[in-house]
Amino acid sequence: MRSISLFFRSVTKSLILISFLSAAAVNSASAQDAAAGAAIFKQKCTACHGIEKAVVGPALKGVDTKYDEAWLIKWIKNAPAFIASGDAKAVTASAYSPAMMSAFPELSDDDIKNIIAYVKVGDPKPAAAPGAAQAGAGGAADQGGVSNFMLFGLLAVIIIAFLVILVLNKVIKTLERVMLQKKGIEVEEEEAADKDRFAGLKKLSKNKKFILFIVLLCIIFLGSAGWKGMWETGVHTGYQPVQPIKFSHQLHAGVNKIDCQYCHSGAFTSKNASIPSLNVCMNCHNYVTASEKYDGKTSPEIMKIYTALDYNEDTKQYGENTKPVEWIRIHNLPDLAYFNHSQHVSVAGIECQKCHGPIQTMEEVYQYSPLTMKWCINCHKQTEVDHKDNPYYDKLIAAHDKLKKGEKVTAAVLGGLECSKCHY
Amino acid sequence: MESNKKYWKGLEELQNTKDFAEKSKNEFAEPLPMEEVLNEAGLSTVAPRRDFLKALGFGLGAVTLAACQKVPVHKSIPYLVKPEEIVPGIPNYYTSTFNGHSVLVKTREGRPIKIEGNPNCILSKGSLDAKGQASVLDLYDVSKLKVPVLNDADSNWESIDKFVKEELLKAKTGGKKIRIVSSTVNSPSTKAVIADFTAQYPNTKHIQVDAVSYTGIIKANENSFGKAVLPRYRFDKADLIVSFGADFLGTWISPLEFSRQYVSKRNNASLEGKKMSRHIQFETGMSLTGSNADARLPLKPSEEGIALLNLYAALGGVVTGSKPLANNQNAEKAIALAAKELSAAKGASLVISGSNDVSIQIVVNAINALLGSYGTTIDLDNPSYQYAGNDAEFVEFVNEMNRGEVDAVFFLNSNPAYEFNDAKAFTDALSKVKLRVSFADRKDETASLCQVIAPNHHYLESWGDSNPVEGYYTIVQPTINPVYNSRSAEQGLLIWSENAVTDYYQYIQNNWSRSVLAQSGTTWKELLQKGSVTLPARSAGVYSFSRELNSVVQTIIAESNSLAKGGENAIELHIYQNVAIGDGKSANNPWLQELPDPVSKVTWDNYAAINPKFAEKLGIAELDLVEIKTEKYSVTLPVLLQPGQANGTVSVALGYGRVKAGKAGSEVGKNAYPFLRLVNATLQISTAASISKASGTYELAQTQTHHTIEGRNVVRETTLKNFLKDPTAGTGHAHVNKYDLWNEFEQPGHNWVMAIDLNACTGCGACIVACNAENNIPVVGRDEVRRRREMHWIRIDRYYAINDGDNKVTKEDEISKLENLDNVSVIHQPMMCQHCDHAPCETVCPVLATVHSSEGLNQMAYNRCIGTRYCANNCPYKVRRFNWFNYWNDSRFDNYMNNEFTQLVLNPDVTTRSRGVMEKCSMCVQRIQAGKLSAKLDKRKLKDGDIKVACQQTCPTNAIIFGDGNDPESEVSKALKSERTYYVLEEINVKPGVGYQTKVRNTVEV
Repeated sequence: MRSISLFFRSVTKSLILISFLSAAAVNSASAQDAAAGAAIFKQKCTACHGIEKAVVGPALKGVDTKYDEAWLIKWIKNAPAFIASGDAKAVTASAYSPAMMSAFPELSDDDIKNIIAYVKVGDPKPAAAPGAAQAGAGGAADQGGVSNFMLFGLLAVIIIAFLVILVLNKVIKTLERVMLQKKGIEVEEEEAADKDRFAGLKKLSKNKKFILFIVLLCIIFLGSAGWKGMWETGVHTGYQPVQPIKFSHQLHAGVNKIDCQYCHSGAFTSKNASIPSLNVCMNCHNYVTASEKYDGKTSPEIMKIYTALDYNEDTKQYGENTKPVEWIRIHNLPDLAYFNHSQHVSVAGIECQKCHGPIQTMEEVYQYSPLTMKWCINCHKQTEVDHKDNPYYDKLIAAHDKLKKGEKVTAAVLGGLECSKCHY
Repeated sequence: MESNKKYWKGLEELQNTKDFAEKSKNEFAEPLPMEEVLNEAGLSTVAPRRDFLKALGFGLGAVTLAACQKVPVHKSIPYLVKPEEIVPGIPNYYTSTFNGHSVLVKTREGRPIKIEGNPNCILSKGSLDAKGQASVLDLYDVSKLKVPVLNDADSNWESIDKFVKEELLKAKTGGKKIRIVSSTVNSPSTKAVIADFTAQYPNTKHIQVDAVSYTGIIKANENSFGKAVLPRYRFDKADLIVSFGADFLGTWISPLEFSRQYVSKRNNASLEGKKMSRHIQFETGMSLTGSNADARLPLKPSEEGIALLNLYAALGGVVTGSKPLANNQNAEKAIALAAKELSAAKGASLVISGSNDVSIQIVVNAINALLGSYGTTIDLDNPSYQYAGNDAEFVEFVNEMNRGEVDAVFFLNSNPAYEFNDAKAFTDALSKVKLRVSFADRKDETASLCQVIAPNHHYLESWGDSNPVEGYYTIVQPTINPVYNSRSAEQGLLIWSENAVTDYYQYIQNNWSRSVLAQSGTTWKELLQKGSVTLPARSAGVYSFSRELNSVVQTIIAESNSLAKGGENAIELHIYQNVAIGDGKSANNPWLQELPDPVSKVTWDNYAAINPKFAEKLGIAELDLVEIKTEKYSVTLPVLLQPGQANGTVSVALGYGRVKAGKAGSEVGKNAYPFLRLVNATLQISTAASISKASGTYELAQTQTHHTIEGRNVVRETTLKNFLKDPTAGTGHAHVNKYDLWNEFEQPGHNWVMAIDLNACTGCGACIVACNAENNIPVVGRDEVRRRREMHWIRIDRYYAINDGDNKVTKEDEISKLENLDNVSVIHQPMMCQHCDHAPCETVCPVLATVHSSEGLNQMAYNRCIGTRYCANNCPYKVRRFNWFNYWNDSRFDNYMNNEFTQLVLNPDVTTRSRGVMEKCSMCVQRIQAGKLSAKLDKRKLKDGDIKVACQQTCPTNAIIFGDGNDPESEVSKALKSERTYYVLEEINVKPGVGYQTKVRNTVEV
């Protein structure tokens, strides 16, 4: 059954692909322009415009029918001048919002034509797109299934192989016996053999050295497991709770290369790196809605920001009915330990990744470092203090130089291991 | 000479009573019951093996189960739209005003957590007193009203506005009187609001009445010079101060300002210039000011007026009909001496009196005029507006109510049902008023008699302003959204009077831009940044006294006779305010309740202070309950034997015995207000009374004799004469044993040390409350203080010494040879962890929970501590405190940490300590770390003064200096180089990091 449905899916997939390609071929003349226009549009226009949706400026669908091409070229090239020239349509258009459209003198007429062509066509997302998305999801699920299946298959193969070996063994033994019988040698009864086997076990159980060995083994095994377990009590390396918003650091920090401190601005100045307040998210997400992936609608995850702020996409206003986002804290230091981000990030110049791991590749954040005192201390012992160009250290380093000439000046040397550096 | 002087903390130490000797053997009041367990009965109790195993099994199981809880999930909830100025983790400071003093409010994530003095304040110069430090806790007080109240039911502002407006209209149309009763209002905007209200309702009158009144001085100035004002006293210009019962360092008018001025003539800088002022105090009870005086003489209330008359006569004034102080030869001699000294110091001397009697204050005026104090040490032209209450007006108001003439009354920051001496007359009269509105923040004694309680904002929630002295205007700025549903009183008055501007913030802005901002050329923003505006002062005029004193003399003698009635068990009762509780307005503040009285070291109670010799005569012992009785009123109070108390007198503190203050402050001590007497239209603080022993005793929670010093010589003093001869006089450097058990420590970077000038410390206790607020120190309550378990990291030790001519008392049993205990002198010594370089506590810690840092700090790692308490046993300074309970999570200690509102005051940079661990002064290590970090972030060197510890920051007299001892240019290094510097218990060579400077007394040999 499964294979049949899989077969159907792949057939429909290819059919859809063919129909999409042929549709594209029909529009190929404009599509070429549209492709170039799409690139320019993404670069220059998306900050304020969407095709289906109003952002800062109006939604652009149908703009090619509302205005003629020459008018649009003038408008896009230098809207402020065009309005100032007193063009009636331009003045009316400028009334849309108090934010005036910027001038784009760097765009050639052809560029603008391409943009218009793109606006006409819109994003290549034919009706089948959701189907494709579904298929993709299905595929992913299937993949998961296959991997499980493979695992179980492997296990089954091993078990079967084991059984085969056993059976073969038995067969060989029987054959041997038959051969021996044929040769006229008496064979002991099976029961006797069984008895012997148990006797061996019994004998073994009376072997004190063997017992001691087993007991020792148990003690070593349980002891080491217990020891390890105790060391890991309260250590939550790998802690990866499900967050209320599926925020991807991989996308923001990895792909889009947004600087960590754009959002975690406290890391420079405060003890808390701080989770950004939602107005920081809105700096981008008032126009970045990822709607291209969701059939022109705002991504449900971004929608969560809007809901929290009671943000009205049409009026661009925050409402009264707000509901803060309750993130789950991943890196929990106990209250008795004082940690200050700015000391480490600004003063010492340590990369975020040193403690937080390859955050730019994390789809969901997990705790990378153990956050144990040993871990802190080790780093303080190894890390040299970056005291150059910071006059604060001048006197300390000078005093230290007097004591120990030529040795590494680590955080530990400057008292970084002392209790009240972190505990008060 | 000083070396054989005997210092003692309490009479029991001096007399070395059996009980005291027994107690002083133990570090902790209640030792572990080991002996009980190990004695025969303990050993023979049946504890069978099975029971033991059961208990063991249960214990193990219970512990395992308890440990099996899931790791809690911590939420992290960011702002939706973060206010631009807030960065989580970084404090913001705002200017505001407490009690006329400009302050800085430290807020974290939008909640105020600490109040500090504003260096721009001309009165405090950056310091703050205990009450100011504690005021932040009142903001979160859970005893406050959560919503407004109308007719004893929770209500809302609309209903209240409707109700009050209707009633006011009725009063207006009926032509009845409307009264606004308040304590002194010196806010220009509040005054303007009241004026606008009066314009709308012309029958309104504003009556100001203070719980503790200064009407006497104001009236006397009106009488003598035609100026009905409270003058500004300039202690910084006075070389000789003679005070008759005025506790100007503790409670009198403007103690914060006066302390700073007073000490500026006595501190290190002054001594280095070979100068020091002289201070003679005549008083009944031992006040904070008296304890700092160079010469202090006990004087009965009945003798005060006569002593002043005699002083006036001795100075050459014309007095007829006065008489010598027959029963007080010492005072008589001292007055003659003072007169001589005053004549020599004309123009740089100051005579003041704490009396509220107009006649007495007129004599004081006469003396000061004779001495040429006006224009130098007394300024009548730039007066103080801190107190303007008029006792007579309030009495007349009670009569008006009685006659049924008043239809509406508003109480603003005034609580006459508790504070007025005849509360019953007041409450009876009040019941005849139709509309009764209180702006109290809680259902206090007066508010509970009102139909409408419109809770006023705390000053940290409200806009406002203040004009405490002429030419000095400060702004009150809100630093948090109202914690409960309160509204500023002025806003209420604006709405009820249908003012054009009903937003009080707008109103203040308008008012300021019209007046002070225009005059000074300051902008509103500059004002908010600086906190205050100072207009140029007028020049202080010279005033001469030309009145004839005959009638005044008659009144004084009559009053003196009425006080000294004589008879069986007769006493003269002296009513005073203590430093922490004052008039009782903030009685519900647990920080203030647990702040020990600077002299008696009693917490959580008031008491009857009696001279030990007098008590012996009456057959009364310490802690006996006594009944103090006048014709109208009587209270039963425990006795405190107070050396230095005038014979035949009893002192009782005001501010206690409130019944509706709230959780912490209600039913604490007894109310002494009803003892006040209205004489010649002013309320007098002394009265004739009788004392009798009541049955039973009552144990006061005293911190006095905790942590005994075993007779070691820890305070050093000298006289100015000796100091001038030899600046090292009295420091006793000679016998330091240089042998050392420990290796030397290197402090390559910083070396945090402290210098405390005993000559600058007045013992006011502001540092204790500042430390409470900064370091999340729990309040343990009366019972735990009795068990010697108070948690204060810094305490102020008060030592008595007896000056009986050449009869220096050097041994404990010599006390009985003394004729009286009148002539005691007092030294205050702040004591906290000394951060010894060779700390005995560190050596004995079995788990290395307390170790030394390379910056000279004695560090305490709470989570390493297992609570053996060895360190406390081994500490020679007795400064370590043990957490006997989880004070932040134990309903028995519901003082502030254990409550979701009041715990908002906790400093997030300091951990709350758990049960079973030691704690002690950390030298505000969180401030040190923050200061260092801020220098590193700015890429600059750490400057001296960048880091100020909490006690240093708030000290009104700069007695505490903290800094880097490795920096030879730092203030603390310079201070420690002073010849007066000594280290406490230098002889045991633990190398403390805190140096003290010898107390110098400006004594004059007669």
